Amino acid sequence: MNMLIRKNLVLIITLVVIAFMLGVAAQGMDRQDFVITLLRGLAVGSITFLVASGFSLIFGLLDVLNLAHGTLFMIGAYIGWTVIVRPDTIMDLLTPLALILSGFALGDLYPHLSSRIRLGLRMKRFLPWALGLVSLLVLGFILPRYPIAIWNVENYSQSPVTFSFMASQGTRLPVQPATFTEISPAVALIGLLLASMFGAFGLSLFGKDAQRTVRISWKSFIGFAALLVVALVGFAYNDSLTNALTALNSNWLFLIAVIVAMASGAGLGGLMEATLIRPLYSRPIYQLMLTLGLSAIGIEMVRAVWGRPEFVTPKPDFFNGTGGACPATNFADWWANHCSTILLWEGRVRVYNEIFIPIVGLVVLISIWVLLQRTRLGMIIRAGVQDREMVEALGINVRRVFTMVFALGVGLAALGGVLAAPSTGLSNFMGESLFLNALIALAIGGLTNYPGAALGSVLVGLIQQFIIKYGQIGIPVPFTEIVFKPSPPLVPASTVLLMVIILLILPNGLLGKKE
Amino acid sequence: MENILEVQGIHTYIGQYHILQGVNVQVPKGSITVLLGRNGAGKTTTLKSIIGLTPPREGRVIYDGNEVQAMRSFDIANMGIGFVPEHRAIFRDLTVEENLKIAERGRGDYLRKKEFIFNLFPDLQRLITLPGTSLSGGQQQMLAIARALVADNKLLLIDEPSEGLAPVIIENMMSAIRELSKESTIVLVEQNFLVASKLAEYYIILEEGRSVQSGKMKDLARDKAAIHHFLGAA
Amino acid sequence: MTRTSIFAKNRGLLITLVLLVLLPFIVGLFDGASPVAVWNNLSGNSKFIQGLAIEIFILALYALSYDVIFGITGLLSFGHSMFFAVGAYLTGIAIKTLDLSLPATFGIVFVASIVQAVLFGLVLPRVRGITFALVTLGIASVFHIVIMSTELGTYTGADVGLQGVIVPEWISPANERLRFYFIALVVLISIYLLYQRFVNSPTGRVCTAIRENESRAQMLGYNTFYFKLAALTLSSFTAALAGFLHTLYQPIVSPNVAGLGFTVTALLIILIGGVGTLQGAFVGAIVYRLLDFGLRRYIGESASFINGAVYVLFVLFIPFGIVGTWRLRSFQIKQGWESLLKAFHPDSHQ
Repeated sequence: MNMLIRKNLVLIITLVVIAFMLGVAAQGMDRQDFVITLLRGLAVGSITFLVASGFSLIFGLLDVLNLAHGTLFMIGAYIGWTVIVRPDTIMDLLTPLALILSGFALGDLYPHLSSRIRLGLRMKRFLPWALGLVSLLVLGFILPRYPIAIWNVENYSQSPVTFSFMASQGTRLPVQPATFTEISPAVALIGLLLASMFGAFGLSLFGKDAQRTVRISWKSFIGFAALLVVALVGFAYNDSLTNALTALNSNWLFLIAVIVAMASGAGLGGLMEATLIRPLYSRPIYQLMLTLGLSAIGIEMVRAVWGRPEFVTPKPDFFNGTGGACPATNFADWWANHCSTILLWEGRVRVYNEIFIPIVGLVVLISIWVLLQRTRLGMIIRAGVQDREMVEALGINVRRVFTMVFALGVGLAALGGVLAAPSTGLSNFMGESLFLNALIALAIGGLTNYPGAALGSVLVGLIQQFIIKYGQIGIPVPFTEIVFKPSPPLVPASTVLLMVIILLILPNGLLGKKE
Repeated sequence: MENILEVQGIHTYIGQYHILQGVNVQVPKGSITVLLGRNGAGKTTTLKSIIGLTPPREGRVIYDGNEVQAMRSFDIANMGIGFVPEHRAIFRDLTVEENLKIAERGRGDYLRKKEFIFNLFPDLQRLITLPGTSLSGGQQQMLAIARALVADNKLLLIDEPSEGLAPVIIENMMSAIRELSKESTIVLVEQNFLVASKLAEYYIILEEGRSVQSGKMKDLARDKAAIHHFLGAA
Repeated sequence: MTRTSIFAKNRGLLITLVLLVLLPFIVGLFDGASPVAVWNNLSGNSKFIQGLAIEIFILALYALSYDVIFGITGLLSFGHSMFFAVGAYLTGIAIKTLDLSLPATFGIVFVASIVQAVLFGLVLPRVRGITFALVTLGIASVFHIVIMSTELGTYTGADVGLQGVIVPEWISPANERLRFYFIALVVLISIYLLYQRFVNSPTGRVCTAIRENESRAQMLGYNTFYFKLAALTLSSFTAALAGFLHTLYQPIVSPNVAGLGFTVTALLIILIGGVGTLQGAFVGAIVYRLLDFGLRRYIGESASFINGAVYVLFVLFIPFGIVGTWRLRSFQIKQGWESLLKAFHPDSHQ
């Protein structure tokens, strides 16, 4: 018992301090204000946690500080929006994207190929560049000609803002389906497949593994075959699938959006790790710079594709009911009417923003915990954090686990994005501010500590929301008549200051272990 | 007798340092072979080169009839090589049981081998739920060897099993290794000549990254001059 | 050391200096403006190029200051823009609000730069590596928030930026740009020489040792804290000086110079030029500014996309930067030239 207390002293002190602060806050404001602020804090904390946990998993195992994580969060949000508001665009994109990815799914095959091909030294230097160039040229030729029905950022009546507005009114703008005109479908499909294979082959030749022989089995082809099937099905049944998606009710569509955003986030993450980050494992500072550059590129791409103005993803109907029975007074009542708000202790609480998001946060917290503690993958991750070489010497493909963890981390960030979009809206800056929050949360909780990420995120969320609240109602300073009102800039400043103070006392964060 | 492992003139670099400059090793099937040599002679690097953690730049490693020097290390390991590294390398954040389970190559390996492992190292059975951090040096060494036994390995590479252990525990370890050699071939790295001479059938002496002498252990035990020259005091 | 050897050592620097001194006049000649017209600051292409060059000098100074802590000492700071912004904002406030003279302003900036280096230094012994980066990021973002806050708007101009700083006539960037150009040039060159001196001094060598392996430097008996503090102070002073010039030159100081983006700019510049090479800061600043200028002019808003791509390509393919790669290759290039010469004079080497 004594031992237990000593081991978790910091955690206990932190929880006591939080409880004390909450107690003080509860005394100082109305009950309804307190409840709403608390729930909002938890909601912000949950979204922060989704980004922070992925970041910390990646940092823990791979030692990569993925500074593009905030941008990937944002990309997840935009992809989710696209699924909900423009299902036809997603269907059009499915085939080319699956084809482009398919070549990379054959990762194990390329070293095998390159070991079979006997080339001169000069050709060996030249080949990867040539393959990469051919791949880029083919992509550059086909992609602009591939028919994708898309909005138009330049034209207001066709812009995402308009589509978004119409969708939130419950209607869809009619869109013209795109068809193959400039290029024959067979050429496009085969071209994309070949471009992807060339590109992946070229990239694999840059890596160190190029000289190593690899044993391949039928398992190496599963991913490739699956992607190929997806691409072909998406191509053959494009129209009917689009119609089916458009006809779905908004709840199912939202669920699909969440899945698609997570999957594309994971795909993007896996691709990033396998192609760009892998060559840089021996040079950590350069990884940092690389992800920084990728972050800038990502933001610009989002600006180019979805435009600069802000818009909102419509909430699913499940959380968007209105009418006479709303706001609901209890949960049974809410279940019957799906009101957008519910009365809790006299406060009007928005169900999606302040109840659903924290619940998802909790569910993710627990499922990742289970993944880490109870599954073989989690076991390998925990072992790999400590000693990669030994794990590899046991016969485990650590590289593949790296890619999976990177994909998982980015997938979590994308999940955060798609969940946050209906409540906070989509903007080019949503990634940066949230990423700063997540970094602060991790620094507070301990960079590679999973429970620490959760604790830090909740702490950051609560502090920010309470300070915003106090900005409205003011804090009476004890023993004086003065009422202190924190101004908006103090919101980020307060958490940053907390981080600096905690890091100066405990350089590894609240729950981080000593090195 | 047939050789299960043959290392032919490998050269290995770590960074810019030329660590191995021509090492030849021949390991007959079913034997215990020991690599001897002073500190820094390249014994550990030889083991790591065999399993591909520090892949050799030149030379060949032939395991079970296949050239493996260019393969990735997990692929090499999966061909049936178990590796017990220096300083044990127990996973601290995993329990003893998880430390064993992680070495599974197929489902159920651990359950199948459990009995055999706990017969060999009865101590481990009662530690099964403890985290890897809480084990003593000897227990960690047992766990590290046990970990290499979970999968069916035809060849075990064991680096310094007696390092930092009390004499009684070394005795246990030695009998366990002898027991293991009935099932698989063992390559040892050993600083303690007494332990090596009691265990091994064959020896290879490394000096400054080269293999300089090899043969049967009982011949070496008589050759006091060679022992003194290559290994310092015996 | 003899006179010739100094010249021989810095031959490249001397040539650069001469070229830069002549640059405004040469550009003027291309434009049809006589050197006298350029001397009298008549507007034209030359004046425009001078402006661009001044911006490059200021950026180079700023990047140089980042190179000494990141490239030489190996401290990854994400709060470097604060060093620059403190100089820039203090200069503006001292001249505009406090109505101080230029030397007095410079004095204040100098003192403030030392003080903030010590402030950063306070956290040094506690945190290392990535935690240091986070703490510095934290301190700098608090500063960024402070100068953006509306409460201090009368001093800092909040999110609009600091403007209306009246620069003394004798150094006014509008009417006396050529003089400003030469002053900036002299400042840059002297700071560069100071840095070269620093890097080759015993202190500088210990700093390099800290970058390579801090524990080993400690084991050798050096109190690494003082050396890191020295590098920080030098860096802080240089960055504040760059900020000082920036405020004098620019009509408006945007609060962006205090943000993380501006730190990334410094990182980008020395990455392009070559980390830890000193000259790299200058080369990088030229490439960065011209690229940015050209891209914004011809591509417009999506320029930062290309910037990001350039950045990624540099990281992947030219990790040592232009100067670093040049240094690695120059030996081979020299050999190449020699073999060419041999081909022309077959018996010169016999």
